[in-house]
Amino acid sequence: MAARILVIEDNAANLELVRYLLSFSGYTVLEARDGAQGVAMALQERPDLVVCDLQMPLLDGYEVLARLRENPASAATVIVAVTAFSMPNDRQKVMTAGFDGYLSKPIEPENFVHQIEAFLPVELQAPRAAPSV
Amino acid sequence: MEAEAVALMTSQSPDALILLTSQGRIVHWSSGANAIFGYDIDEARGRSLSELVVPADRAEEQARRLDETLTSGSGTYESVRRRKDGSLLYVDVSTRLVRAADGAPLILSAEKDVTHIKVLRDAKLMEARFRDLLESTPDGIVMANPTGHIVIANSQAERLFGYESGELRGRSVDTLLPARYREAHVGHRSSYFLQPRKRAMGSGLDLAGLRKDGSEFPIEISLSPLRTEESAFVMSAIRDISERKRFEKALQEKNQELANANQAKDRFLAGMSHELRTPLNAIIGFTGTLLMRLPGPLNDEQQKQLRTVQSSARHLLALINDLLDVSKIEAGKVELTFEEVDCKAVVDEVVATLRPQAHDKGLAFAFDAPDLPVVTRTDRRALSQIVFNLAGNAIKFTERGGVHLTLRCDVLDGAQRTEIRVEDSGVGIPLIDQDRLFGAFTRVNSARPNAPEGTGLGLHLSQKLAELLGGKIVFHSESGKGSCFSLVLSDR
Repeated sequence: MAARILVIEDNAANLELVRYLLSFSGYTVLEARDGAQGVAMALQERPDLVVCDLQMPLLDGYEVLARLRENPASAATVIVAVTAFSMPNDRQKVMTAGFDGYLSKPIEPENFVHQIEAFLPVELQAPRAAPSV
Repeated sequence: MEAEAVALMTSQSPDALILLTSQGRIVHWSSGANAIFGYDIDEARGRSLSELVVPADRAEEQARRLDETLTSGSGTYESVRRRKDGSLLYVDVSTRLVRAADGAPLILSAEKDVTHIKVLRDAKLMEARFRDLLESTPDGIVMANPTGHIVIANSQAERLFGYESGELRGRSVDTLLPARYREAHVGHRSSYFLQPRKRAMGSGLDLAGLRKDGSEFPIEISLSPLRTEESAFVMSAIRDISERKRFEKALQEKNQELANANQAKDRFLAGMSHELRTPLNAIIGFTGTLLMRLPGPLNDEQQKQLRTVQSSARHLLALINDLLDVSKIEAGKVELTFEEVDCKAVVDEVVATLRPQAHDKGLAFAFDAPDLPVVTRTDRRALSQIVFNLAGNAIKFTERGGVHLTLRCDVLDGAQRTEIRVEDSGVGIPLIDQDRLFGAFTRVNSARPNAPEGTGLGLHLSQKLAELLGGKIVFHSESGKGSCFSLVLSDR
């Protein structure tokens, strides 16, 4: 059974890109357009993995992470930051904050699904291998 | 009448009349004593004279004088006393052994404040000796005696503090200091006379002077002891440093502004990078999905045009990355970690990464290195970036033949010299372009048709990084005959 993945991203084009890549590979994608909606959906839908942008109005990625971590129901959820913050110390900042992974934008469309799948146990990976060029 | 006159004389005498027990405890304390020392009879009675008005460094002398009076019946001497407010004064003392009605020995001490007389006497001597000399120095000079009274001040000092000629004579030097410094200053002064030494201008103290009109100004003081036959003096050279303080403050403000501007620039760069990457993500991402044919098949022309979009977008991304690197280097913000690095392993990695590119163009791509590891102290990331750039350029500018990397290591005069050479059989660099090869945004081949695209920052960046590593990039090239770039690192 392929994983259910929640994507929290305020930029419509980038949300569409990630949704397209993941659902093309057979994953069920849940979409949230801001941090507050993302937290609510994560608690309600209990996704297997959360892909989260960092810079979002009102509730940013760090705040989303903190809220999900402090709630016992979502504390163990795998959360991967996908962000356009890619200065040399940004990865460390993200990992120190407690995200499970860091991918910088622009993402590599050829590798993105593989990179996300690395955070999933085998039984939750989509049966079909992600397409390559 | 007689008794009344005697009472009047003792109570109204301007001098201090003090009656002490043989142990030096105060039995009686006249109003003159009150006026001179600042303590009233209730504060004085029962206390030891020493603990009340004798400075610590005179305690021993005081004990000796008391003993002398007890043995010889009387004594006359000059000494220094400390008032209740901490200020010092000179006194002429006459003592006499007397007996109480019960026969107990008592000491009558008559003490006269001679501070002013002494200052005037010293002033006369010092003026005769030093006036001309003091007037010839540019700094304000104030000489004070051990009780802190000004004996002589030159006209520069008078002008500095706003006093008329001669007006400072006899005043306490404390009047030249704002009240908040005075208490500490009394302490400084007495310790200074105990251990007089030269102290340079402005040695560690943030001092202010107090003008006659009450205004303050920043000063710098140097002290030096001056001993004459009569007494010890301290000479203070005083300089008004308002101007310098203003400069310092202006400089500090400028520095703060610069720091703020730098921070603003860093924030701007980080923001710019973020904002440019966000739309690039969608461009590169969807170009990728189309080229991966996820939505459906492409004809050749569509594929060709999409490849152009993709390489242009990647070019833009490389430009953003290089610009950030350049700005970091210019700002001196590159963090380097010097460690033992195996150069062979670094070049091997670069070669592995670039091999597909060379292969795609049908180029030979070889790497020669000594059998033993070549280890040097350097920053791994910067080294890799330079080699990647040089080898990447070589592939980019070579259409047939190949690219050859060589790692060499010599020891010359005990210093290790490591060289990574990248030779190509490409287009080469015309002589006229060679001078500006390492400049920013220089693309010496841009005039050629079909010239490969670059950011124009690669060599510029590489050379700057090489300098940070304590090395340099050298090259020789001939148009049409290929180029050879060498990164040379010296280990000291």
